[in-house]
Amino acid sequence: MTATTPTSVRTWTSPAGWSTVARQEIGELWLSSKGLAVLFGYSLLLALLAYIASADAGINLLDARESVGVIVQTAIGLGTLAALVVSADAISGERERGTLEALLVTPVSRRSLVIGKLVAATTMWVATLVVALPFVAVMADGPGVAGDAILVLVIAGGLVAAALTALGLAISSIAMSNRVSLAAAVAVLLVLAAPSQLPGVKANSALGSVLIKANPVSAGLKMANNVLVDQQPWTDQTAYLISPIVAAVALTALAVTLSKRLELGGAR
Amino acid sequence: MHTSVAPAVETEQLTVRYGKLTAVDRLDLTARPGEILGLLGPNGAGKTSVIRALTTIVPVASGSATIAGHQLSDPRAVRASIGVLPESNGYPGAQNAPAYLRYYGQLFGLDRSEAERRAQRLLQQMSLGGNDNPVGTFSRGMRQRLGLARALINEPAVLFLDEPTLGLDPAGQSDILAQLTRAAVEDHTCVILCSHLLDEVERVCDRVAIMDHASIVATGTVDDVIANAGVGGRGRVRVAPEAISAATAALGDCPAVLSTSFDNTRPGDLDIDLAATAHPARQVLSALLAAGIEPRAFDLQGARLSDAFLALTTNETPT
Repeated sequence: MTATTPTSVRTWTSPAGWSTVARQEIGELWLSSKGLAVLFGYSLLLALLAYIASADAGINLLDARESVGVIVQTAIGLGTLAALVVSADAISGERERGTLEALLVTPVSRRSLVIGKLVAATTMWVATLVVALPFVAVMADGPGVAGDAILVLVIAGGLVAAALTALGLAISSIAMSNRVSLAAAVAVLLVLAAPSQLPGVKANSALGSVLIKANPVSAGLKMANNVLVDQQPWTDQTAYLISPIVAAVALTALAVTLSKRLELGGAR
Repeated sequence: MHTSVAPAVETEQLTVRYGKLTAVDRLDLTARPGEILGLLGPNGAGKTSVIRALTTIVPVASGSATIAGHQLSDPRAVRASIGVLPESNGYPGAQNAPAYLRYYGQLFGLDRSEAERRAQRLLQQMSLGGNDNPVGTFSRGMRQRLGLARALINEPAVLFLDEPTLGLDPAGQSDILAQLTRAAVEDHTCVILCSHLLDEVERVCDRVAIMDHASIVATGTVDDVIANAGVGGRGRVRVAPEAISAATAALGDCPAVLSTSFDNTRPGDLDIDLAATAHPARQVLSALLAAGIEPRAFDLQGARLSDAFLALTTNETPT
């Protein structure tokens, strides 16, 4: 008589999820030179801009409110770019460095991997926000809009950054190489930022207004301009928050959905 | 009551396709706990695809497989039971070895202290203990040992190794082979070893499976595969010069010997053409001893796994 015994009596506990991945990724980002180098560059650019914006009229042609608007918009734009670059590297970078396969053969779900990396990339935005807050607070103190400036930076900037960080991760999960992922992510950011450069007349037309509101990046930047420069009340700005909110939710959902198809070689 | 151990790996008609390309075609394979199975084949034969299918990296087009009692349809349970060292495994440059292993231990559900304990034990075992330098400063051999330690962090039931000794010096190769043998013998881990280094496969593998064009063309022990491949070999036996005629007669009746010849310039040396059979050396020596002839030297040439490999496989297939 033959009886079959189980092959393995080795047991395993439920694997840690996204928090383990996030802790690891945050450590790699901030204990290596990558995150600190990006943050240092960001700080330098913001300091240079703040210096020019706060200088006398000889080199600064903007009034105090316009200077605050420029600083806040720059902080949002550059902070978002920094977070986007980090997230666009998150999976395609592992793929390129040959470290993805070892991760994919652990019992941690693809979804947990992606969420952990998303959380880590978001810390780049948080770090840029922390760097930008003193600049914005000091610059906005003169015209008395410090509260508004900080709120715009946190709310509009946070939503735009969340949307584009998720987009970067979604691109990274399907890109076959890191170069493709980074190029695609930055190209998308540039395309989204383009409507904010529309001339004032075009931007105020019906079509221009719709284009700006429908685009999360231009909507966030336009809202900053409306509140800080044009002194429009917050209550009139809710329409500008719709596309950033929708984009943040939809792109995060997209990134998580694509995680189910996370493949070693990228999308075929 | 006889008790048998269930296979650690069992595939049935396993097929993997990439678009129209069939990378693995109806593979039937079994490996037991504690067994080292060499998976051989020319480039593009499908070895890596087999490993990637069995480690849930690539989907299976048809057929089924069970790993440590878990169906591939339960990928998280399969992954929890396996360790994998891929062929081109990357390493974090800035992280040190204990932190690297601790992280993977935690990914397998270990708490921090248990992950740390296992990491330290494995690092000691791999002769990497006390080294807190960044992994980026490690030699290739050190990285491969670290990769093997990472693959063992969850004490896997099945260990998949894809070319683990590629590019290593002889000492590095020996280290890796010793570690995987230890895992098989002491921990009863089933080891699936892909390698092009047939000498090392011959040395450590209990059984081999040779793949060609997406299918298995031979499987069994090394001796069985050599015998079944139909590759003979040559040998040279040295006896006392006055016994050369008796030796010729004794070997004439030996089924492992096709023919013998001798050269008067080398008195006592007898050249032998061997048949494709299992254990030809044992048969030749037994025949001589049975005839009361004591061999003074015996040299076996050919009839190695590499001969069988070349006989069973065709040229490199496109990948």
